[in-house]
Amino acid sequence: MIILGIIAIVVLLIGVGIYNSLIGKKNQVTNAFSAIDVMLKKRYDLIPNLVETIKQYMQYESETLAKITQMRTQGANANLSDAEKVQLDQQLGAAVKGVMLNVENYPDLKANTNFINLQSTWTESEEQIAAARRTYNAAVTAYNNGVMMFPSSIFAGMMGYQTMPVLETPAEERKNISAKELFNN
Amino acid sequence: MQLHSRPEMASVFNELETSRLYIAKQHSRAYWSVGLGAVCLLAGFLFGLVGIGFSILVVGLVAGFVIFARVGKKANAYKLDFKYKVIGTALKELDDSLQINPQSGISEQDFIDSCLFSQTPDRYKTEDLVYGKIDKTQIHFAEVHAEYKTETQTKNGKQTQWHDIFKGIIFCADFNKNFNGLTLVKPKGFGGAFGKWLSQNVLGNKQIVELENVDFEKMFITESGDQIEARYILTPSLMEKLLELNQYANSTISVSFISSSVYIAFPLNHNYFEAPIFKSLLNADVLEKDLNMLRLMCHVVQELDLNTRIWTKQ
Repeated sequence: MIILGIIAIVVLLIGVGIYNSLIGKKNQVTNAFSAIDVMLKKRYDLIPNLVETIKQYMQYESETLAKITQMRTQGANANLSDAEKVQLDQQLGAAVKGVMLNVENYPDLKANTNFINLQSTWTESEEQIAAARRTYNAAVTAYNNGVMMFPSSIFAGMMGYQTMPVLETPAEERKNISAKELFNN
Repeated sequence: MQLHSRPEMASVFNELETSRLYIAKQHSRAYWSVGLGAVCLLAGFLFGLVGIGFSILVVGLVAGFVIFARVGKKANAYKLDFKYKVIGTALKELDDSLQINPQSGISEQDFIDSCLFSQTPDRYKTEDLVYGKIDKTQIHFAEVHAEYKTETQTKNGKQTQWHDIFKGIIFCADFNKNFNGLTLVKPKGFGGAFGKWLSQNVLGNKQIVELENVDFEKMFITESGDQIEARYILTPSLMEKLLELNQYANSTISVSFISSSVYIAFPLNHNYFEAPIFKSLLNADVLEKDLNMLRLMCHVVQELDLNTRIWTKQ
């Protein structure tokens, strides 16, 4: 009777442990996405300043700049889903990168101190977002392992937990950062 | 151009070689007198003249000690000259800003603050500080030997044993990105995988950072107070480069990112920058190990791309 009682307590403790671990892993995923969100917002704050500085020199790129401003407004104001936020961020990143690569044609802009600072801040925010995205993917992988592996998969099924997709890394992010490429030195 | 084939170095090498030959001769005399004393003692045992043998040994020991003491000052000057004139020139060849200070090193406090090793040293030795600025990156490195002691109670009283915490080169450079916390990359070692699993799943240690590079994860265990910051520092390319650097050390390197700097501990067994006594300085291969090590340290800056300052830190 005592042995049965001990076994029951051990099983109960294991169950509570698995249940808490699954909840912890799910919270980590939510937390990791919030970190991406915070960084995206930080990056959106850079856009008006960046566009304003570039506009004075790059008249020929006005269409791209208008598109960037529009994406920024869309990202900062609308109630987008997580997937839409990530997609918008990738489009925005690609558009700004395109503008940065054209700086070579505008020597005055290239020498502007304000622009140089903004460019460094932008590059930093790009890497921070990439790091946040990798943190999110690590959290999702840990969560998915919990959902799919036995015996926690039994609890996950009862709790209605399903696997989540990891964020895909854009092809250009997989490449190493090259100062030459970014600054066209 | 090799250091030995540079015309302006010929006089330096010749001058140092003259000192070396004198010191080597004196050292040989000292060893001979001690050796001769030992042989006499042995002969004394064989022929029943232990008293005489022992007296000759004492004379030999005293003579050896006197010779060593007399030549000691000159030997120290020779060793210092070698470091300043030969190693100093080799450093200038690698980068004009690099300098050596043989009597300085990485302070014990700096060693502790680097957080590379959790154990606090009970005995700490450091020498041969090399410092300078390679392009935009401030660097310094030195030889370090840190030990801790254990005491065991035996029949004859307390017995102290010394154990290595670290022996090798500690390299420190200004890192090219801003960060606030501490990120540690430690060798995984024996039982590392189980320890990692235990701390993550049983002890709930959230400090461990799970990274994507499989080879890196096999070799190292990463800890940080901030998961995102750790990944901001340890980009996929930096992980590859640390794995490459790791191949040059005797055993797995340890890396810490703290206070805007990167510290790398290279475990190495050789005592670097020591002037030879019984080997000619005129042989080009006498400097080979020292030069290889210096090249490796300068290579770290290029390898880790520390001069790329495209982030807000300039």
